[in-house]
Amino acid sequence: MSVKDLSPPSGLTLSAYGAGLSRSRFFLSNEFGLILLIAVFVLVFALTARGFLSPFNLFSLGRNAAVNIMIGLSMMTVIVTGGLNLAVGAIGVSVAMACGWMIEVLGLPWPIAILGGLALGAALGFINGWTVVRTGLHSFIITLATMSIFFGVMIFLTRAEAFRELPDVFSAFGKMKIATYFSPLLLVTLACALALTWLYRFTVTGREMLAAGASPAAAELSGIRVGRVIVLCHMLSGVLAGVAALMLVTRNGAAIPSMAGQLGQDWLLPAFLGPVLGGTLLAGGKVSVLGTVLGAFLVTLLSSGLLMLQVGAFWVQTFLGLMLLTAVLLDKARRSYLARRNLA
Amino acid sequence: MMQISRLSRTDWFGPLLAILIAVTLIQSFSSTFLSAFNIQILLLAIAVNALVAYSQMIIIAIGQMNLSVGAIGGLAAISFAGAMEVWGLPAPLAAIFALVVGTVCGMVNGILIRITGISAFVITLATLSIYKGINLGITEAQPFYGIPDSVKAFGSALLIGPIPWLVVPTLMTTLALWVMLRRLPIGRFILAVGSNDHAAALSGISVGVTVVAAHAISGLLAAMAGVLIVARLQIGQPSIGDDWLILSFAAPVIGGAVLAGGHVSTMATLLGVVIVAIITQALVLFSIDPFLVQVVLGAMILAAVGLNRLRSRQPLKGGIQNG
Repeated sequence: MSVKDLSPPSGLTLSAYGAGLSRSRFFLSNEFGLILLIAVFVLVFALTARGFLSPFNLFSLGRNAAVNIMIGLSMMTVIVTGGLNLAVGAIGVSVAMACGWMIEVLGLPWPIAILGGLALGAALGFINGWTVVRTGLHSFIITLATMSIFFGVMIFLTRAEAFRELPDVFSAFGKMKIATYFSPLLLVTLACALALTWLYRFTVTGREMLAAGASPAAAELSGIRVGRVIVLCHMLSGVLAGVAALMLVTRNGAAIPSMAGQLGQDWLLPAFLGPVLGGTLLAGGKVSVLGTVLGAFLVTLLSSGLLMLQVGAFWVQTFLGLMLLTAVLLDKARRSYLARRNLA
Repeated sequence: MMQISRLSRTDWFGPLLAILIAVTLIQSFSSTFLSAFNIQILLLAIAVNALVAYSQMIIIAIGQMNLSVGAIGGLAAISFAGAMEVWGLPAPLAAIFALVVGTVCGMVNGILIRITGISAFVITLATLSIYKGINLGITEAQPFYGIPDSVKAFGSALLIGPIPWLVVPTLMTTLALWVMLRRLPIGRFILAVGSNDHAAALSGISVGVTVVAAHAISGLLAAMAGVLIVARLQIGQPSIGDDWLILSFAAPVIGGAVLAGGHVSTMATLLGVVIVAIITQALVLFSIDPFLVQVVLGAMILAAVGLNRLRSRQPLKGGIQNG
């Protein structure tokens, strides 16, 4: 206890004193490791995979990265509180389908439909958060149940049929290219990431979220309404999952019920890969938005590069799993190294 | 009165009551519910699903979770079918091979969790993806069709009346697990580690060996479920196991398992599986939308954890910190 009191907890050093980090500490940080890895892999793929640096590949890489980063951020906002949200995929698909329904069946203009969809995401997140807080059960079992419920209701209401008659704005936005290389989706993701960074660094709500995650009891004693904060985190997660799903809609040009797999399970791996690679603590209280962005980008880069190397589409999933494993092992080694050297 | 209050405290009483009420209700609305054919279908579903639920139950008993149950089951299923079709192994050898594959997968989970000390959630999420990826890499998402007639016959054969042969392995496993958790040292160790691993270590139990053993048993049970489902479907599909996740948690939780570990009941879990099967079947009988099955399963998990909480009146710790 006394040792912990003297040195700032490792979690807070990055987020709170980010600007004041000494250079040697930055080199030991997760973010630097990720940047290094990204640079190495870009070099490897550029040299070995034909067409990796082609404008089209870079464009589609950016587009996929935008969606994956968004999914990672959505999970991150709940991991901050020490919980998790298995329902990200189910919420995302529900939002996309609701948006499609509002446009095609209700005939609403698309900006209102998007807002309506995101409001639904927040509402579903609220249901998760409220249930977690009121029952006092771990969010794992609650969101496992709601993932089944949300997805089931969505499939029941839509009869598992896609909305394909969306206005051209959607697919046009998905196909749009900025400076031949970049997708505007990346800008949306960047804006969300910056907003989250601002939230966690400079706003009271953000600091309260981190405090509630680090130690709910201590936070409660210092006057934070932990229950309310946790509900807020889940709502934020719902909105971000909705944004990710809407980005997928612009890419596909249609709202498809199966776009996140059975029960939205296909989103689980990318959702955890980003934050875990980026050094967000699963126990809560520590967050690294930059790390999550870099982690999710690295994942996208690797999947794309492996596909270009013709490893075979079916093996990519194995590699992603191995990567998650390697990442947590490396992180563990790094942490114990830092602890031994008394650096963190 | 004393009797009833004591009964209500056991894990199996509530689910059993729910089953009796549900069966009476459904039978009064639809007379075909207890027909021989329908009972056979129910038993076939229960035979496989019970093994899936046990596979998760053993891990819940040590206070962890295993997301890779479905992936292990799928990998074992295609190992079983592939060994027979591609290598031409006789069915019993292929089944043993599949069970070994499942056990090894489970052991890998346990060893990784134990050595690294990382939460079971993250490790099994990673191995879920690895096992599923190996499955897809081998099969390229194409099913194995070459299942020998002997296996097909086993999958559809009836023992007595409407009771299919497939329930025999499941019943034997149920009995074995019940004996293990009640009487055998390893079963007691598993429960001890689940309720307090520190205390268990201090009393001389090797926590590492126990955790790895629990995961190996979980892998073995998942593999058994995979083998049985190949016999039932008569085809080695790569997608086997994809939808096991919710089910594997629903049945133990309905059976009163405490997610923080240390308290599970084999019989109550079996009854949980029966409840899920009956309700799924009822939705089909009354031609209610099959899509609603997911909603009902999710609602049942929520209801069960709520009831368990009321029953125990003790704060439940989340499973993930324990991992």
